[in-house]
Amino acid sequence: MAQLTLVQALNEALRHELREDPRTLVFGEDVGRLGGVFRVTDGLQEEFGERRVFDTPLAESAIVGSAIGLALAGWRPVCEIQFDGFSYPALDQVITNLAKYRGRTRGRAALPVTIRIPSGGGIGGPEHHGESPETYYAHTAGLKVVAPSGPAEGYQLLRAAIRDPDPVIFLEPKSRYWTKEEVDAAAAGRLGQARIVREGTHATLIAWGAMTARCLQAAEAAAEDGVELEVVDCRSLVPLDVDTLSASVRKTGRAVVVHEAPLTAGFGAEISARLMETIFRDLKAPVLRVTGYDIPYPAAAVEAAYLPDLDRILTAVQKVLDY
Amino acid sequence: MTEFVFRLPDLAEGLEDAEIVEWRVKEGDRVELNQLLGEVQTSKAAVEIPSPRRGLVKTLHALPGDLVRVGEPLVTFEVEDSQPGVVGRVPQEAKPARRVHLRIRRD
Repeated sequence: MAQLTLVQALNEALRHELREDPRTLVFGEDVGRLGGVFRVTDGLQEEFGERRVFDTPLAESAIVGSAIGLALAGWRPVCEIQFDGFSYPALDQVITNLAKYRGRTRGRAALPVTIRIPSGGGIGGPEHHGESPETYYAHTAGLKVVAPSGPAEGYQLLRAAIRDPDPVIFLEPKSRYWTKEEVDAAAAGRLGQARIVREGTHATLIAWGAMTARCLQAAEAAAEDGVELEVVDCRSLVPLDVDTLSASVRKTGRAVVVHEAPLTAGFGAEISARLMETIFRDLKAPVLRVTGYDIPYPAAAVEAAYLPDLDRILTAVQKVLDY
Repeated sequence: MTEFVFRLPDLAEGLEDAEIVEWRVKEGDRVELNQLLGEVQTSKAAVEIPSPRRGLVKTLHALPGDLVRVGEPLVTFEVEDSQPGVVGRVPQEAKPARRVHLRIRRD
């Protein structure tokens, strides 16, 4: 057990998988010599050499295209897209080929590709550096979508993602990169399991990535008012652990989903629908969503007004309590 | 705190080594990102070396006049675990403010 930041935990997970499996490769823009713009790949090229950890041109479509070819040739590529907003040039390769290969070959060629994408806002970045693209990937059948909330989750889920036989989109919450936490380097995670991070009785807050921490803060504030909120970290959006979510909301009867991405067709809509389909009779109030607004991600100076804050979360909680 | 070893980069195509001309910092100094660390002379030009990190200069691995090979340690820094990325800043972890307080109806 060691206290690690999320950056250090992800670095350890990559190092572990590079050591364990000589087929693992790490590549992307600035991941080699520089060690990544957030230093997630710091020191990996030094330790494993330029044939296993290498820099690519600024061409995201080529990064994912190369990963597909390398996976077909027996490698396990872990590629980095430098920022969420730059993942779109690669969508053609992701949707057209990466997600479809297993089906196209009737199961003969699965592609064990992991695409790491620093995601979300909250660090004062410029345009294209604060987006939450999870819905694009979750809506593309054939991909798994994983969104860790902190160092321990990040370490375990990244190792599980790299070992998974199919493509995994791994969304790293960049506003949580510097959070420290105990990380058990022996524990490997499993994909597709949500986690109750705080138990409560009055209502359930559902989140993933950076919003998990925001929901925990909201639950602490609510406790000061005598309201006990349960907080569930989805960890994985595809597959989604509907059983854990619906068991929690069956217990509390009320749910608020919190995410950074805009409201319309955000992943909160999917969760709301799943709860309605599975535990309609147990709901004491409609499932509410607290999200970013339906606008392009705003300039750094006003991002705090865009991201869900405690007041917006608590206002939604009050609404489901009063319904 | 962690250590970061800055190795002499290849400052020109195919460079093998460089001579330290002078240091503008000394051991124990705090330096900012891109602050001038010193100057080296390569076979092609005199080159100023900016700091790749913000942190504390722990060790200068060579003296003025010494020849350092590409890839050999130049400076060891002590750096904070929370270094911002190339883009953006480190978010502050202060307890967030709130104005909304919850009421439970007891009926």
